Amino acid sequence: MIIGDILSATLIFAVPLMLVALGGMFSERSGVVNIALEGIMIVGALAASLFLRYVDDLGIGKDHAQLYMLAAVGIAGIVGILYSQLLAFASIKLKSNQVISGTALNMLAPALAVVVTWNIQGTAQTTILIPNWVRIAPESLGIATDNIFTTFLFKSLFLTTPIAFVILILSIVFLYYTKTGLRLRACGEHPQAADSVGVNVYRMRYLGVGISGFLAGIGGLAYTLAAGSGFTSTVAGYGFLALAVMIFGNWKPVNILLASFFFAFFRIISFYSNSISFLPKFDTLVSGEYIYLIMPYLVTMIVLVLTSKRSRAPKAEGIPYDKGRR
Amino acid sequence: MKRRRTFNSSLLTTILSAVGAIIIGLFIGYLLLLITKPDRAWWGLQRILTIGFSDPNKFAKVLYQAMPLICTGLSVAFAFKTGLFNIGATGQYTVGTFFGLFAGIQWQLPWYLALIAAMIGGAIWGAIPGICKALFNVNEVITSIMFNWIAVFAVNMAFLNFPMLVVDFWGKSSIGDRTPVLADANASAVLPKLGLDELMNSSLVNIGIFLAIIVAVIIWVLLQKTTFGYEIKACGYNRDASQYAGINAKRNIIYSFMISGALAGLGGGLYYLSGTGQYTFLKVLLPAGFNGIPVALLANSHPIGVIVSALFISYIQVGGDALQPRFVRENIDIIIGVIIYVSAFALVLKLWFEKLFVKRSMSAVSLRDDDAELPPPDEPKGKDGDNV
Amino acid sequence: MSEYIIEMVGIRKVFPGVIANDNITLQLKKGEIHALLGENGAGKSTLMGVLFGMYQPEAGEIRKDGKPVRIHNPNDANNLGIGMVHQHFKLVEVFSVMDNIMLGAEDTHLGILQKNKVRDKVLRLSEKYKLKVDLDAVIEDISVGMQQRVEILKMLYRDNDILIFDEPTAVLTPQEIEELMQTMRNFANEGKSILFITHKLNEIMAVADRCTVLRKGKYIGTVDIKDASADSLAEMMVGRKVNFKVDKKPCNPKDTILRVNNLSLTTAASGKHKLHNVSFNVRAGEIVGIAGIEGNGQSELVYVLTGMLKPTSGTITFGEHDITKYSIRERNDMGIAHIPEDRHRYGLVLDYNLAENLILKSYYTSQFNQHGFLRFLEMETHAQKLIEGFDIRAGEGGDTPARSMSGGNQQKAIIAREVSLSPKLLIAVQPTRGLDVGAIEYIQKQLIAARDAGRAVLLVSLELEEIMNVSDRILVMYEGKIVAEVEGEHAVRQELGLYMAGATPNDMSQEVV
Repeated sequence: MIIGDILSATLIFAVPLMLVALGGMFSERSGVVNIALEGIMIVGALAASLFLRYVDDLGIGKDHAQLYMLAAVGIAGIVGILYSQLLAFASIKLKSNQVISGTALNMLAPALAVVVTWNIQGTAQTTILIPNWVRIAPESLGIATDNIFTTFLFKSLFLTTPIAFVILILSIVFLYYTKTGLRLRACGEHPQAADSVGVNVYRMRYLGVGISGFLAGIGGLAYTLAAGSGFTSTVAGYGFLALAVMIFGNWKPVNILLASFFFAFFRIISFYSNSISFLPKFDTLVSGEYIYLIMPYLVTMIVLVLTSKRSRAPKAEGIPYDKGRR
Repeated sequence: MKRRRTFNSSLLTTILSAVGAIIIGLFIGYLLLLITKPDRAWWGLQRILTIGFSDPNKFAKVLYQAMPLICTGLSVAFAFKTGLFNIGATGQYTVGTFFGLFAGIQWQLPWYLALIAAMIGGAIWGAIPGICKALFNVNEVITSIMFNWIAVFAVNMAFLNFPMLVVDFWGKSSIGDRTPVLADANASAVLPKLGLDELMNSSLVNIGIFLAIIVAVIIWVLLQKTTFGYEIKACGYNRDASQYAGINAKRNIIYSFMISGALAGLGGGLYYLSGTGQYTFLKVLLPAGFNGIPVALLANSHPIGVIVSALFISYIQVGGDALQPRFVRENIDIIIGVIIYVSAFALVLKLWFEKLFVKRSMSAVSLRDDDAELPPPDEPKGKDGDNV
Repeated sequence: MSEYIIEMVGIRKVFPGVIANDNITLQLKKGEIHALLGENGAGKSTLMGVLFGMYQPEAGEIRKDGKPVRIHNPNDANNLGIGMVHQHFKLVEVFSVMDNIMLGAEDTHLGILQKNKVRDKVLRLSEKYKLKVDLDAVIEDISVGMQQRVEILKMLYRDNDILIFDEPTAVLTPQEIEELMQTMRNFANEGKSILFITHKLNEIMAVADRCTVLRKGKYIGTVDIKDASADSLAEMMVGRKVNFKVDKKPCNPKDTILRVNNLSLTTAASGKHKLHNVSFNVRAGEIVGIAGIEGNGQSELVYVLTGMLKPTSGTITFGEHDITKYSIRERNDMGIAHIPEDRHRYGLVLDYNLAENLILKSYYTSQFNQHGFLRFLEMETHAQKLIEGFDIRAGEGGDTPARSMSGGNQQKAIIAREVSLSPKLLIAVQPTRGLDVGAIEYIQKQLIAARDAGRAVLLVSLELEEIMNVSDRILVMYEGKIVAEVEGEHAVRQELGLYMAGATPNDMSQEVV
């Protein structure tokens, strides 16, 4: 039924948003603005897709499907970390403008992806198809998708979904209950205070950016799986949408979770607008479905404007830390 | 004690750091070609560097593609000069395209009025992040990005709702996915060619490139010679001192975004009113807007420099297209991406060069030796310059 | 075993262009409260910065319990048991009290914070030393007094025995000051040793055992408080130098140009009065100097007068007009000129050249602006005139980038600009900061020339000497209030010093705030 399908689709699109937004949160919480999330997603997805393709070509994929998926997730994350270090190096060591270096990485990533794809798959093959066995079929778990609840959770199930929720919980624990989490947060709010008690601000920021790379890489893979038609060297602006989710979520994990679902829902509605009877179809306009495409962005903007007073960005984000100045 | 720092050395270091970024970008690109097809790598590099001049036809293409780049480059550069980052250029470009084509086709206006309409469209779209920042203190980067996407969708839908703006209306085809050939819809809206097409044996070139150059000069005059330019640059260079001088920063932010937007919108107008291309209703962000960023960075946001760097970027892009089918054209995007990345810390490069040329180095941030300033009390400063 | 727990011997610390500490020796006994007294620029904060590992001295030695030690960073200082409460708190505003205390010294098990253990320890310390704090409150919500207690607890939590306080009472209300004094006495009784930097004589008299006085980077002396008085301390602090008075004609004041009435500024966060019912006048043809130690409201007063800050209450009258609500530009246009205390932040646009900076406040007038275009010829002439008239050294004349000019010439440029506006009121804040003797003399002459030309001049300076040389009338600000008004000719250095430090000459033996 429709509701179940909608919920299922919402879940599958909320997961990448949440992962990437969490990643952005870690980076900004440590004091570095990470605009490059979009690029990192692409690079992570590229690596993971290539890996899955490779495994599939070898014919061994089906046997230990989820094990290979786990490896793919790991690869996406690690490649994400590596790519994010380009931003970290430029921003922390060279103290360059974080928005510009982030934009550079965003422009590099899709180009890199196309070039690599071309060279590996051959001319004009710009899509990397994801093998079917990555999906966890509900039947294999002994579950029949016969009601809303099971449809919601199990219709399109990939390993990335439960992993995402594990990551969410780990993030909460790390950020609020560990020593490193405390120090990381201090660096994004008042690096001088952290420095004065012996915290290495530079190292914390590298960590923050590294974590964001890891999560964004996995998020890229999650997006590719959700999109369903393979890796096409783009994530359609999800990296930026994740930034908005992060801001709307006030840089807090649980709020980010809720915000991700909120926005994914609006995104999905646009696909199903014709099928749902009570939604306005905007028939008077040609191609009225565009209104639904606009909606997530417009809603985001309205929310940002309304909550700008309440919004509490990490105070020292975007400002390169200079230990030398007293 | 004074230090002689002539005008020349500053220009020199700017050019050097730009050239440095370009060389590094080309080098990385070359490495990439080498990795993917070693035997053809050198050929590839040569082609990139020389194809633009190889015949008038190709050069015409360079000029044609430089046209929107000059405009979006100016848009980003102007914003930079005033201390802002206009990442919304692509949305403004798109809205400008719509306004321009609407004026030209729907209202059947001649090209010069359509161009003005394009600028108005871009200005309106540009004002939005400005207003959100000035009045609601919402980050302009996020606003711009959101409105980039809103622009694409809104414009697509808008086009589809005006039958005259879809190619089917004019009878030549029925694909329904793009705007009509401009010559069919309204010949007076097409930018005049003034015989350039015969000169260069190409249908691409028209007076648009000259218009773009003229606009660049106008922007340069605006920034350098007018009171408004003085004020708006002061805001960008030193917000506190402008406040001290009684300048209204909030108002200037909005003006700055509007002008940036108008410039980007003009880019869209020039490109699509050339009559050569048709706007296709795809759900993607047009790269022309983003490519304005490397153009601006390479030129260090100098309006005249933008002309040069736009021509350069266009030049290597034409080179990149000519690499096909052996190499994928995205190699050029990689080169450009590397160039931006390096430009991001170009300031570091610039200071490093300055150390070589000026006897004693001068960090842009620290006070001078004979200032005898006591170490200032460290007070955490707010990001956007809270009052005092 | 040395009788001193900490010794700083022969410390020399140099910053570009200034010797902040010149062969200073400081000895701290165990269990004593030792005050460090001096005016602005005396070198007190620098010396403590060296002790706390924030700066490395060029020469000199630090000893703990008689043994030489090297302190490279705050961690080293911490390991030696040295803790510091900074003048500007180093607290993370959005963290709770407890998080701030444990940051950097967290108690963990496998990386997980042991919040309960921390809580217990902090509560014990809090009770022992009667330092009331709300462990779960967020820093930005609590009072400044409590924030300071958090800083103190940070030190105690790390078992610091040597406690440095940098101007601790600057931000406290009288009640909180009393509590702090008691806390310090408790620490001393415990055997902890305390160093505290201050310029307030009454506090020193109230709580210190001994006091070391610094002046202009040099060590003046150390006294036992029981043998000293506010008077003697003030004399050590400001010295008995013969004043090098600038030649000036007698003052001939005319109409009152500026009238300040009950001006108050309260910051919402701390509730502290930055300005408290400040009232005074400035007349045309006179120089009014405002003396005081930094942080007593002078900066805020100037920002309120020029429109950069809004007062909480009170009025400002300029000539006939109430300008309390006027914008900055309106005040500029009415004839108020301002030489700001931070010349790089407010006074100049460093990326502009000299000529462009010289028209920063007048670029929009018809003199330089014609139909929206800048009149470059006029700009050049104007720049030339000012360069000659004010002896500004600029290598390329008007084209010289402001950034490349020396500090002295930058300041001359600002003064040239402001004076040439022919203002009715000229406000000059720290106009000679960081300049060489020649430039200082020149600028002071300019101020007097302005006054002779019939302008009203308000001079704010942290250099008492400068105030005394130049002013016709002197006001002293302390804790946001005007505490004294003296005629320039009758000003006595020590007396002013006392006012600046919060005491009055008549109440030497009492502790008056």
